[in-house]
Amino acid sequence: MSGAMKPENKRSDYLRQVLRRETHSARSGAAIVAAILVAAGALYCLLEMTLGATGQDPWLLHPLDAAQRAAGLPGATPTPLLGAAGVLLALLGLIFLCNGLLPGRRARHIIVHPRVAIVVDDEVVASALAKRARMAAGVTREQVMVTVSARTVQVNIRPTSGRRLSEEHIKSAVEDELAAMALEPTPTVQIKLAESGVIGV
Amino acid sequence: MNGTPRGLNRLLLTLLGLVMVVTGVGAVVLATTPPAARWWQAWAGAQLDWLVDYADRTRLLLTSESWIWFAGAAFFLIVVIVMITWIANQGKGRASTLHSYEGNADDDGASGAIRLSCAVAEQALKSALLERSDVVGVSVTSYDFRRQTALKVRVLPRPGVAPHKIAAEISELVAALDELLGLEVPVLLSIGSGARSRFTKAERVR
Repeated sequence: MSGAMKPENKRSDYLRQVLRRETHSARSGAAIVAAILVAAGALYCLLEMTLGATGQDPWLLHPLDAAQRAAGLPGATPTPLLGAAGVLLALLGLIFLCNGLLPGRRARHIIVHPRVAIVVDDEVVASALAKRARMAAGVTREQVMVTVSARTVQVNIRPTSGRRLSEEHIKSAVEDELAAMALEPTPTVQIKLAESGVIGV
Repeated sequence: MNGTPRGLNRLLLTLLGLVMVVTGVGAVVLATTPPAARWWQAWAGAQLDWLVDYADRTRLLLTSESWIWFAGAAFFLIVVIVMITWIANQGKGRASTLHSYEGNADDDGASGAIRLSCAVAEQALKSALLERSDVVGVSVTSYDFRRQTALKVRVLPRPGVAPHKIAAEISELVAALDELLGLEVPVLLSIGSGARSRFTKAERVR
């Protein structure tokens, strides 16, 4: 690596890290929920432990009694109740586990730029493409629906009755707009014209 | 781009999830299969006997209760403190100083320091962006990320505005800001939509 290249590379590395963070979820929400749950449980245990340690009457259950009950499971607990509690706990745990392990991509695309790190919400891309498709097709706002996902753009158009629409023309207009945006990853365009038309929307 | 501890979030969430799944599945197994329940009662009963015995042998003179309850209380106190710190660490990392420079002999010999507040860059960008009619909301904040101060520009355009045109115009603003400040601050531009931009009218003439 030559000396003159270095600051440029350093900046693009930095921007790449920023972009990676912006396109993936930080899991703050799940983290806060988990922390509150654990803290509430720990506070209760703290209370019972302190009461036990100072020889006071327990609030609900002395820690030793609690341990006894846990060791005696299933004991007198009705099977459906214990089973349902277990399933519920496992499902909640599964939610946290998925939050911890899945990549958590957010619905955003990157616009490549040498100086500025740019991310665009998919919703903004969709509304810009919808406007372009609407102009190309000559229909009203309500007749166009665009969904944008990481790798596909789907344009659904409901034509006005009695007017034939050219799918090719709309597709090339939307693709032009998409090419001008230079998104990363680049989505492919699918146009769907509805079979039946509408009047007066 | 803030200092949220993402790795820690994922690690703790995974751990908690694993513990909850294992406990839940264990409870279901206990409830449904009698051999597993018998094994559990034998194993846990032995542990419990040891615990009762130990609690009896370690009674303190002062309270005539075992010290292990104190130890348990201390442990749970630590857990509560860790959880509160964990919550407090979400979304931190806002910066206040954009650039600081100490005068030295190599430069011009003048002693003294320059400190540029983040508000300089934030307000310069914000006032330039608020003049635009195709943008309904702008917020500019600065964060310390990887030992460097970076600006985050969040714009909420009206529906139908082409994002690449906004991006191109804002990068021109950023270039102007570079000239103004004499240094290149890393900039993140986030183009999004909020409730406010979703329900405003699209511009028909521009």
